[in-house]
Amino acid sequence: MSDAFAVNVEDVSKSFGAFKALNGVTLRVRQGEIYGLLGPNGAGKTTIIRLVCGLLEAHAGTVTVLGRRMPNVGVLRHIGYMTQQAALYPAISVEENVRFFAAINGAEEGVREALELVQLYDRRGSVVSTLSGGMRQRCSLACALVHRPELLLLDEPTVGIDPQLRVQFWDYFRRMAAQGTTLIVSSHVMDEADRCQRLGLIQYGRLLAEGSPADIRSQGGSQNLEEAFLALAGRKES
Amino acid sequence: MSGRRVRAITRRLLQGFRRDRRTVALLFVAPIVILGLLGYLMRGSTSAPAVGIANQDSGPLGALVADTLRHSTRISTSDISATDGDAKLRDGSLVAYILFPSNFSQQAQSGSVAPEVHLEGSQPGEDSPVIQALQQSMISLASQVAGRSIRFEPSVKYLYGGASYDTLDYFGAAFVGLIVFFLVFVITIVSFLNERSQGTLERLMASPLRRGEIVLGYMLGFTVLALVQAAEVLVFALAVLRIQNHGNVFLIFGMEALMAIAAVNLGIFLSMFARSEFQAVQFIPLVIVPQVLLSGIIFPVSTEPTALQYVSDVLPLTYAVNGMRDIMVKGADLSWSALQLDAAVVAGFCILLIAAGTTTLRRRLG
Repeated sequence: MSDAFAVNVEDVSKSFGAFKALNGVTLRVRQGEIYGLLGPNGAGKTTIIRLVCGLLEAHAGTVTVLGRRMPNVGVLRHIGYMTQQAALYPAISVEENVRFFAAINGAEEGVREALELVQLYDRRGSVVSTLSGGMRQRCSLACALVHRPELLLLDEPTVGIDPQLRVQFWDYFRRMAAQGTTLIVSSHVMDEADRCQRLGLIQYGRLLAEGSPADIRSQGGSQNLEEAFLALAGRKES
Repeated sequence: MSGRRVRAITRRLLQGFRRDRRTVALLFVAPIVILGLLGYLMRGSTSAPAVGIANQDSGPLGALVADTLRHSTRISTSDISATDGDAKLRDGSLVAYILFPSNFSQQAQSGSVAPEVHLEGSQPGEDSPVIQALQQSMISLASQVAGRSIRFEPSVKYLYGGASYDTLDYFGAAFVGLIVFFLVFVITIVSFLNERSQGTLERLMASPLRRGEIVLGYMLGFTVLALVQAAEVLVFALAVLRIQNHGNVFLIFGMEALMAIAAVNLGIFLSMFARSEFQAVQFIPLVIVPQVLLSGIIFPVSTEPTALQYVSDVLPLTYAVNGMRDIMVKGADLSWSALQLDAAVVAGFCILLIAAGTTTLRRRLG
């Protein structure tokens, strides 16, 4: 049953005008796992994430999150969403941003912990517009997790950040997963795939394959994930 | 200086406009709309101000001048009795009435006439056609009293305002409200647009926040700012510019607050139809300028061409400006039905915009 899964996407299709962004996608994310949504730019990763947090409604199929059919406002307080661009208020400080997102989720007691987790507690007074790109990403992450969501949606969280910070981010992700948080991480970088417990490969709005990195390797017939992905993509197209 | 590099900048600029059809349309449509409106307002004013004539002259000359006045194209006249005059000015059915005293014919024979001109006085533009029409009709006297010139010394009385009022006193009342309305509108539309373009609105939508909460929160935030601004503008207008005020300062402030709330919600609502700050600013010539022209600030609504009067009647700014003038020039309080109507219309418009803003917020993200 769907209750065993934190997120259950069943045969979902979504079009924007004539463009079919998703075409019969089915994927399931288990509670407490890090699920990697992998695929090239424009494959439909962001559309899936936006469907899961109720910003979009599917034309066909169902999306169930934490046991409730989406879109559902009641579930939203249990979801954290980190958008692709670091969506923050540039004119106010780091702490003021985090406190704002905490307040709209009714969880102001988590501000300090969130700031410490992303190591911005010392910079909490800095105005966001003066921060570097990496610090903004960290602040954005803090805003997404400040209310301790059960499900954290991260849309390309490591794009444009340096390798050191990327390692740090994956460290945060693993710690949260260990505490029972479910994470969906989208990426187009294959070397991140190995850090996920399970993967969904997306191309042209379809799910090519789903499984652990080892499963994907064997399905694609290659020890290299990137090659495996390309092999699976080629097979589907022919 | 390289011509090629300069050309590159020019070309890039025009390429951008080619794709932004809306901006191009605005560049060429807005001037025609605004100038056309202005021309129609200034030349097309067919409706002459309504003027009452009370002839108490025991001799023949009062009736003669009154008859000439009836044929004047500058004013539209009706006969009234002198005792009704002030009441008709107050209820707005007349902008002025002219009273020929019982000894008017004798005055003419002695070479100096003094008809009484009673003006409503709250709208400066309405006075001059009345005086002009009266002056012209005096020509008819000349043929009757041959051989001498007659001096024209009307005694002018004002119901509101009056000789001690200058242009600023009339416009000040309206501008105090308009400044707040305009600035609050611009600030709101730009910052709500920022919310959209910096991606935070998407984040808000994925949070437990209800759409109504977002609109209401914005409204409160900007209203607080607007009220501080309104207080500052009011103090400056009254204390420094010494604009005459016959009303209650708190009533003025209340009216300003209503206008500010309307402006905030208009900003939120219209921000849904703009993709960039550039496009947001374009709403100023489209939404603000025609409202200013038609709200009666500069041209009294009663002298507008009839077609435009219908437009003025549905614009909220018309009621807001009218309310501000009623308070400051006429000394209106909330027991006046005119002020009740003005306040109710502006408040109703606020509610309409809150609903509209909340609904569009939902649609844009569907």
